[in-house]
Amino acid sequence: MEEHELEIQRQMSRRSFLKRSAGVGAGVVALGAVPSILAACTSSATAAPGAASAAASKAPSAAPGTVALNVLAPAAPDPAPPGVAKFNDATVQAFAKWQADNKTTVTYEAPPWPQLHDKMATAFASGNPPWDVVYMSGWAPEFRQNLTAIGDMIPADLKADLPPSSFSTVTWDGKVYGVVFTLSLLTLFYNTELLSKAGIAAPPKNWDELKTYTKELTSGNQYGWVLNYGAPEGIGGVASYWMAFLQQAGGKMYGPDGMPIFNDTPGVDALQLMLDVNTAGTDPGSISYVGINDATNVFTAGKAAMMMNWPFMWVPAQDPKTSKIVGKLGAALLPAGPAGTASIDGTDAWTITTASKDPALAMKLIEFYLDPNVQKSQSIDTGWLPIRLSVLNDPEVQAKSTNAKVVMDQATHPYDSFVTPDYNEVTQAIGTEIQKALKGQKTAKQAIQESSDLVTAIVKKRK
Amino acid sequence: MSALSTSHGALSRFRATGYIGRRRRTGLWLVLPALVVLVAVLAFPIAASLVVSFQSVDTAGGKFSGTWVGLDNYAQATTDPAFWTAVQNTVYFTVVEVTAVVGLGLVVAMLLNHPLGRSPFFRVILFVPWALAPVANAVMWKWIYNANYGILNQILEALGIIHRPIVWLGDPQLALNALLLADIWKAIPFIALLLLAGLQNVPPILYRAARLDGASAWQTFRFVTLPQLRTAILICVVLQSIWALKVFDLIYVLTKGGPADGTVTLNFLAYRVTFDFGNIGYGAALADILFVMMFVLALVYIRTFRPTRPASGQPA
Repeated sequence: MEEHELEIQRQMSRRSFLKRSAGVGAGVVALGAVPSILAACTSSATAAPGAASAAASKAPSAAPGTVALNVLAPAAPDPAPPGVAKFNDATVQAFAKWQADNKTTVTYEAPPWPQLHDKMATAFASGNPPWDVVYMSGWAPEFRQNLTAIGDMIPADLKADLPPSSFSTVTWDGKVYGVVFTLSLLTLFYNTELLSKAGIAAPPKNWDELKTYTKELTSGNQYGWVLNYGAPEGIGGVASYWMAFLQQAGGKMYGPDGMPIFNDTPGVDALQLMLDVNTAGTDPGSISYVGINDATNVFTAGKAAMMMNWPFMWVPAQDPKTSKIVGKLGAALLPAGPAGTASIDGTDAWTITTASKDPALAMKLIEFYLDPNVQKSQSIDTGWLPIRLSVLNDPEVQAKSTNAKVVMDQATHPYDSFVTPDYNEVTQAIGTEIQKALKGQKTAKQAIQESSDLVTAIVKKRK
Repeated sequence: MSALSTSHGALSRFRATGYIGRRRRTGLWLVLPALVVLVAVLAFPIAASLVVSFQSVDTAGGKFSGTWVGLDNYAQATTDPAFWTAVQNTVYFTVVEVTAVVGLGLVVAMLLNHPLGRSPFFRVILFVPWALAPVANAVMWKWIYNANYGILNQILEALGIIHRPIVWLGDPQLALNALLLADIWKAIPFIALLLLAGLQNVPPILYRAARLDGASAWQTFRFVTLPQLRTAILICVVLQSIWALKVFDLIYVLTKGGPADGTVTLNFLAYRVTFDFGNIGYGAALADILFVMMFVLALVYIRTFRPTRPASGQPA
């Protein structure tokens, strides 16, 4: 009897254990995992972006009684707004006051610049971008269908104080999708001490002088020229540098029909110049420098005599903690080609997403960023020049950023960045061919021919 | 036995009454949560990616809508020069990495299996590369390879091996091999430990027998050690092949696929096409091509390296 009872107990406990385990497992599945997975999938697939953002957005909530404005901006030292970059106390207080007056809490997401495009692409594709205001750098045409056209929202007095050409990089199909907030054109930077030691009285004014001086300034471990040729695509990639030389040679990227027209003498000459300067005395590491900071580090270490760079470089190059060329930096117009000097625009702009619940408030924030005092502070404190013409001519701005005059002068010459919705793909194609030419795998003519064929295929796909 | 009759038999066994039937059904219920998770995080994304690869995807205005284009995305790959460059780089990278990692891993494992190498100190040191986070490893190697400040150039110049700094990441072929070196360095520890575990499972009596038969060290290695390690080597080759095929972090941090697409692999190309160009359908097609390559490779390895069964009546 006892054995039988024991056997029954063993059978019952084993059976009950198996049953309970199976039941618990099935219950967890039924109650826990599946509905939440399905709900997440459903909300992002079917809900309108505005409604979905409330449910699925990861943005922090606003302080009680205020409206939240979420901003995607680059981290410093790239052009960052108050609240991200280090601005003076008056600007910081003004920003706090603006938020209080508008009952707004501005929250930033500020990843390093190289991560911005992927972050935006993912968020826009998901249908749940959590931002109201987004920084753009040549991507406004690409993401235009996720951006609000704000041309009519820009106050007339602000528009009048901005260079008209600054809108070209944020305009597509006649619609304005953003506002450029910094005059950021490539100009020539040079080491005055190295030029002086080589007996060169002034920086190169044309292509011939550029090649000659590069050669004369190269000896041992010191090079005449350095630039980041390691990244083919995007603004600040090797393709965009070639576009500056293309315009100096009198060339253009696209014709009136939108098809590429650079497979001509100016296009080939522009690349040939890069190859000639490369041979004359470019830092061999240039082909491996992916970011502009890699090349800037070489220049500010005093190992290269000349480079093209954005205006922001002026301030950190004067900082003895990071620069060995304090007081030895000069800025000048980019050397002129057959058609004169030309440059490209960094296209740093503020835009408003279609997911924003209050585009009018978002526009007010952008107007704050473009306020004359904030623009002045942007220039003096962060090194990024203002875009407002009235602030560019401010004596204090000119005194602190002595290259401001050079940039303004450069802005009187062509500076088209040829931004299109497929800018990344186009510049990747051209940049890769340029890199092949720089490595001696192709001639300039072959590289430009191949680039033209590739870009033609890309543009046809767009059409 | 046909598949139909096999599945019929399985169904019958599932439906069987009695203790064995209940036990089988309970077992299936118990693994159901794990199966659901596997389907959700593995099978579903693979299937979704396959569907997307046959579409042209438009994400305008926050929508994710796809238009059926059939095999157009796969056809695009065949005419894309970057695709063929990526295939070439991927095959080269995988073959060299797997050969080097498994070969060097075996050498390291044998050293660790030697009485002098059995100290725990060596095993701890061995784990350092493997324990580094992948991105941290990539950044470290970026500085090692830096043309101006990198320690590799400084050491080689100090030893008089080179007289001018080498731009390790400046030449397409050199850059690819530089990435290989960085990845091999990181991968060896884990493979060495897998092989060490296999070595320690080799019955010592086989080595004694080989010694008694007068086998040399090489003969012992070739006819005793290697056959016994067959399964472990198979596992290492399969794992390392998959990891080599999907290398990404090193390329992203060090070269971004350059110079001149010299270090772009299929995985990186899929990322570039999807996120840089916004061509999600084509990116999915590239990712699926890579998936099929990995799957076929794993099947080939398993078939090639599976232990041979003796014929019936014959000793093993």
